[in-house]
Amino acid sequence: MYITGWTVLLAALGAVPAAVIHERSFAWLWVLGVLVLACLDALIAPSARAVGVRRTPPGSVRLTESTAVVLEVVNLGSRRVRGAVRDAWQPSTGAVADRHRLRLRGGETARLRTVMVPTRRGDLHADLVTVRSEGPLRLAGCQRSIEAPATLRVLPEFASRKHLPSRLARLREIDGQTAVQLKGAGSEFDSLRDYVIGDDVRSIDWRATARRAEVMVKTYRPERDRRVMIVLDTSRLSAARVGDAPRLDASIEGTLLLTALATKAGDRVQVTAFDRVERARAIGATGPAVMPQLADALATATPALVEPDWPAVARLVQSRLSQRALVVLLTTLDPSAVDGGLLDTVAAITSKHAVLVASVDDPELAELEAARGDAHDHYAAAAAARTAIEQDAIAARVRELGAEVLTALPDHLAPAVADRYLALKASGRL
Amino acid sequence: MTATDQLHRAPRTDGALTRARRRPLGPIAILLFVVFIGVLIWTARPEDYTTLSIDNATEDGTRAVAQILRGQGVDVRQTATLSGARIADPASTTLVIADGEMLVDYQIEAIADYPGDLVLIRPGQALLDGLDTDLSVRASLDAGAQAARCDDPDATAAESVATLDSVLVGGERSGAVVCFPNADGGGAFAVLDGERRVSVLASWPIVTNEHLDAYGHAALSLRTLGRHESVVWYVGDVFDASTLTWEGSGGDGETPPSEVEANPDFLPPGTGPVLFVLGLTVAVAALWRARRFGRLVREPLPVEVRASEATRGRARLYRRARASGRAAAAMRARAALRMGRRLGLPRTSDRAATVAAIAHAARRDPRDVDRILYGEPPTSDGQLMSIIDELDTLEREVQRP
Repeated sequence: MYITGWTVLLAALGAVPAAVIHERSFAWLWVLGVLVLACLDALIAPSARAVGVRRTPPGSVRLTESTAVVLEVVNLGSRRVRGAVRDAWQPSTGAVADRHRLRLRGGETARLRTVMVPTRRGDLHADLVTVRSEGPLRLAGCQRSIEAPATLRVLPEFASRKHLPSRLARLREIDGQTAVQLKGAGSEFDSLRDYVIGDDVRSIDWRATARRAEVMVKTYRPERDRRVMIVLDTSRLSAARVGDAPRLDASIEGTLLLTALATKAGDRVQVTAFDRVERARAIGATGPAVMPQLADALATATPALVEPDWPAVARLVQSRLSQRALVVLLTTLDPSAVDGGLLDTVAAITSKHAVLVASVDDPELAELEAARGDAHDHYAAAAAARTAIEQDAIAARVRELGAEVLTALPDHLAPAVADRYLALKASGRL
Repeated sequence: MTATDQLHRAPRTDGALTRARRRPLGPIAILLFVVFIGVLIWTARPEDYTTLSIDNATEDGTRAVAQILRGQGVDVRQTATLSGARIADPASTTLVIADGEMLVDYQIEAIADYPGDLVLIRPGQALLDGLDTDLSVRASLDAGAQAARCDDPDATAAESVATLDSVLVGGERSGAVVCFPNADGGGAFAVLDGERRVSVLASWPIVTNEHLDAYGHAALSLRTLGRHESVVWYVGDVFDASTLTWEGSGGDGETPPSEVEANPDFLPPGTGPVLFVLGLTVAVAALWRARRFGRLVREPLPVEVRASEATRGRARLYRRARASGRAAAAMRARAALRMGRRLGLPRTSDRAATVAAIAHAARRDPRDVDRILYGEPPTSDGQLMSIIDELDTLEREVQRP
């Protein structure tokens, strides 16, 4: 049962006769009378149980984009139901207007749309649907909550897709589609075509020219069907907040951009999110199916507060990859990672594959190091300097093992990883 | 049936009555509690803490003496306003004016006109003057028990009472009999017999609940107050502007028109009940807002720690330990690394090579550079800050094109 604002108004209206009657007991009687009336109204209100709800699966939406979920409300009884419905969802769905007026004759169905702008990645769940059915006097009514589970999957934002066009242009530069047609490492023979003015004379294929009457040039394209494996570290250190988002979010952005780029370049990408066990994986999809599969897999990846199991990562990589590949480790270069066996893992993988270790830099460290206020600021600068030296030392040791190291601020990580991939591809080191 | 078509309905729960029949203990306990509270509210009277009021059961109240008088068959009635006295027969009524300090001139005049017997407890000087008693009130400096030493029968019957709080001193014209005088000559009690009897009790605590059972207090109080079959008890009140009423007083106790506001109830009539209704409305509004439209929804929140937290912690540790040496070493190593990288030195280059390269780039004396980068560790915060300052300067010089 619930009462409406009309009950309150009616109770307040008692002030008018009270001004004339001058009796305190009148006030009690009036308010009690109003409440009794409200109770009666609630008793004769049509039962909220007569209302059923039906969900349309909400599907998925990209973070920060708006979507709407539809709830069908059915009046199963014969009486006319008047009232309200609240379609409750987790607060992070950003569903502000989740309350809807309801007016249903017997047997009628209404479709209610709740607009959402999710503010968090992952699976967001619906809570109870609450139905209020008003009595004929509109003073009160009865209220029931209905369990109607639903899940809205919020995919990663992929804000770094704005970097994709420029990287694809660079890819085409390596590719035979542009005038640069030098054969070199990282490119393979594509086709022969007629010479046009402006082509490099060194790419003229004399044997083909001899066979035909025209001058022919060879065109090349970057090597295709290379393997790329991206390992996302979802362990303790990925939970740390850098700027406004956890480290993991920057890693996810990097993964998405690199996967989009590498798929366009004809390479096969597989992704795994790992700490002590595999948390998410995207593997085996080709063509346009790759990105949706990856976004779906990474949507629910959340940092786990555990230490990473680096030897297990090495085993996983070796079991998944049979031929030489580029292994991208998106992790954090931290002294504790070295203790956990990061270096051994990198050494193990480097023996068979090309390895790129990418880590998110914290802009706050640079700020701390540059601060020169009181004595505390100086000590903070020294502490930041010490952290930077340690990270430097680890990066140097990883490089000594033959792996590539890349550190960048959260916003720059994705393009930096993409650039490094292009550089590796151009130099034929994949 | 697929998930799309599945129709969800509220679970069928037992009605309130069924639940109450199955587990009756809870509802019964709640009901008893409500009844109990209701009875308490119904029977509770507003507590009275006014000094000398006959409804006041605390130390400075006079409920005891009023109850004894009632037990003796005296009709004791308290009036909140002078106009509410409405004494039917002054001849058989004792009017008690307790706490006379608050009375104003015209009220005193009305009391002076009153034909019946008066008992003044804790009178103000103005009241005594208004009744032309030529008595004056003084503070009592001696709280001991005093013998009656007068021929008033009430006083002699009481034998001795204490001179508490204040005493009375009779003037030259005074026809009053002052009883129970203490060493200073002030008496606890005085009687002015004439057409009417005016008893003045300056040592007022003797009628209170606290002191009534000491010495002859009870005897004096009961004899003074119980002379007639009814007692009208009035306790002075600043908010009472009305005048005394009795049979034949003429007038209805309303204040003289000289007063600005005749009625202390300056708000329109009915304001009280209206406010009361509105107050109850607020309670109803609370019921309205308190009922949630469905339960609160939980949001599983992630753990979030700033990545720089560890570094900040280390800074605090350095600071607390005053590890200026360690801090300076970190800053020096970092600066040397950065400048070395800028100048293209390998990571492994030794001290001499680094110093030489930096000194060349900064156009400085190598010894100076060596002191800045590899000098003595600082021993205080001040030295640390100056070293960092020098490092900053050196780095700027190296970076200068």
